[in-house]
Amino acid sequence: MNDVRKIRIESLGAYIPERVLAMEEMLASCRRRPPWDLERITGIHECRVAVGEYAIDLAVQAARRALALSRYQASDLDVVICTSISKHNREDEFHLEPATAGRVAREIGAGAARVFDVVNACAGMLTGIYILQGLIRAGEARRGMVVSGEHNMPIARTAARELRHRFDGQLAALTLGDGGAAVIVDASPDPASGFHCLDLVTGARHDHYCYSRPSRRGPGGILITKARSLQRKGNEHFPAYFKEILDRTGWTLDDLDHIIPHQVSVRAVINGVKAVARYYGCPLPPCTRISADLYANTTTTSHFLALHRFILDGTVASGDNVLLVSGASGIVITHATYTFDDLPERYRVRWASGGAA
Amino acid sequence: MKRGVTIAGLGVSLPGFRLFHRGSVARAVEAGRRCLADAGRRPTEVGVLIHAGVTRDHHVCEPANAAYIQHGLGINVEFHGARTCSFDLGNGGCGMLDAAHVLCALLQEGTPRSGMITASEGNSDLRAKGARPCPDSGAAILLELAPRPDMGFGSFTFHTRGEHADMARTVVSLAEARGRLRTHRDPGLEERWLEMAGPVVDDVLARDGITRDEIDRVIPAQISADFLARLPRAIGIPPERIADFTGTLPYTLSTSVFLALHRERELRPRFVGRTVLLLAFGSGLTAAAATYRYAKGAT
Repeated sequence: MNDVRKIRIESLGAYIPERVLAMEEMLASCRRRPPWDLERITGIHECRVAVGEYAIDLAVQAARRALALSRYQASDLDVVICTSISKHNREDEFHLEPATAGRVAREIGAGAARVFDVVNACAGMLTGIYILQGLIRAGEARRGMVVSGEHNMPIARTAARELRHRFDGQLAALTLGDGGAAVIVDASPDPASGFHCLDLVTGARHDHYCYSRPSRRGPGGILITKARSLQRKGNEHFPAYFKEILDRTGWTLDDLDHIIPHQVSVRAVINGVKAVARYYGCPLPPCTRISADLYANTTTTSHFLALHRFILDGTVASGDNVLLVSGASGIVITHATYTFDDLPERYRVRWASGGAA
Repeated sequence: MKRGVTIAGLGVSLPGFRLFHRGSVARAVEAGRRCLADAGRRPTEVGVLIHAGVTRDHHVCEPANAAYIQHGLGINVEFHGARTCSFDLGNGGCGMLDAAHVLCALLQEGTPRSGMITASEGNSDLRAKGARPCPDSGAAILLELAPRPDMGFGSFTFHTRGEHADMARTVVSLAEARGRLRTHRDPGLEERWLEMAGPVVDDVLARDGITRDEIDRVIPAQISADFLARLPRAIGIPPERIADFTGTLPYTLSTSVFLALHRERELRPRFVGRTVLLLAFGSGLTAAAATYRYAKGAT
């Protein structure tokens, strides 16, 4: 009988494209510029843009960085799961098959690994970790990688071309950014660290608030979001799950060192914090980490790009308790409680030595 | 010893002439309803829903198709109370076996008590006649923990040969409005799959510690009559033990293995003590095999 109960993030890789696009530049590129001050409303100042790279390239770069930090070789990986939403792996193409994970595995030298893709909107990477947790606990895998590359700029460019009015459903596409992230997951050798609880729930009655498909008016893909309704519905329901997972972990608010939410926008995160505070009837500890101001909404990768940023600046340290929160279209609400082992320290040392670059 | 996981219900939406195009979600929902009826379960009892189809209505890539199917089936659609998590898992024609492997692991480690896997194909790009990868169809299975470890799914094996990945591709071209489905299948594809069939069967039998003689029936993806005629030699199992419905059942990509299993069950309703080998082939290129043991007296 397999007795693994906890899994951990053994390694982390993040790839943030160098090209910076200011929100003002994004708005200036719109054929009909929206009348809103989107930077003030969202709190997003800039995003990163992949130039000459596609979603698969961002995923591969992140995967290589995760391997550079890992104790494992690529050939040690039993499973590679790719969770990208924006499978823009070539110009003007969206890939349905073969699984993008197969190409990532081949590029990094994990050709023998089991590969498949998972799509669960912005909760994709946490869903991939949930699946790996099941496979590792059941003894079907020893370790694996969850990887995602999000090339969202084609969708933002379609929005810039097609926006027609101030309440256009494509407005939220202007808040997207590009990025790649990868984690290597294995059984935690220390019962005190790793994932304590990992919960996903889909409230499928609300599947109409956010969707992405090809445009009907011209080339390109579009993202249609009823942003305020989506946030309102999410904030109505997720605080109860937030409390439930803390209770199941045996934590109180005071045990939290960091809350890392899905980085939709700075405003959305702040509204989420207020919703939880209302539910608890007291303010939350000031430990909510926001990276949307600089990276914008990088969809599936956002939690791990935030971790990258706050580990490197010393905010997140070894032994810290973290709550990962995700709200994604579907609507999918995801919570995970996690205690770091020595990963933050190793991550900082590796980046300081230039080894993960 | 691990607990076995059984197929408590199987439902399909068969390919065939329909006056109106119904789409992949409608196909999956139809199969899912029949699956729940077959199992005698209520929608609220499904804790996990995994969708493994390739094509999507209007080429929607977000949210997960599984969310639409969960909604269509009325499976715990509101927050609080009984809960369900749903997501898509994609691996071309092998997706349903991949999802079965994942769901078996989730059930064995105790997260949900039962879970459903759906797959469906429905090309909403009605302009692209030549690009249709397969006819519309749907399939669904409901998995639950078995009362005994010697029944239900045995081992799963997946072999991937990435060097041939470009031999089977399906993409949505975004160069024109509404997107356009483009499918490419290399002429040598079936040959490569046949090369992979023998090793993947060897592997799954070795994992289960059984021989070819102990396999009562092989349920392969119904790729083509020619492919199934050559399969016995490739896997070393006589043709009379291989289910060939290619005369009446077209190849339907992700749903093919379970449509064939459904047809087999209709023709041979009592699988008393039978060991079945499920064989799928897909893009990647991937070959997948799983063994399944029916309980005595089961149907």
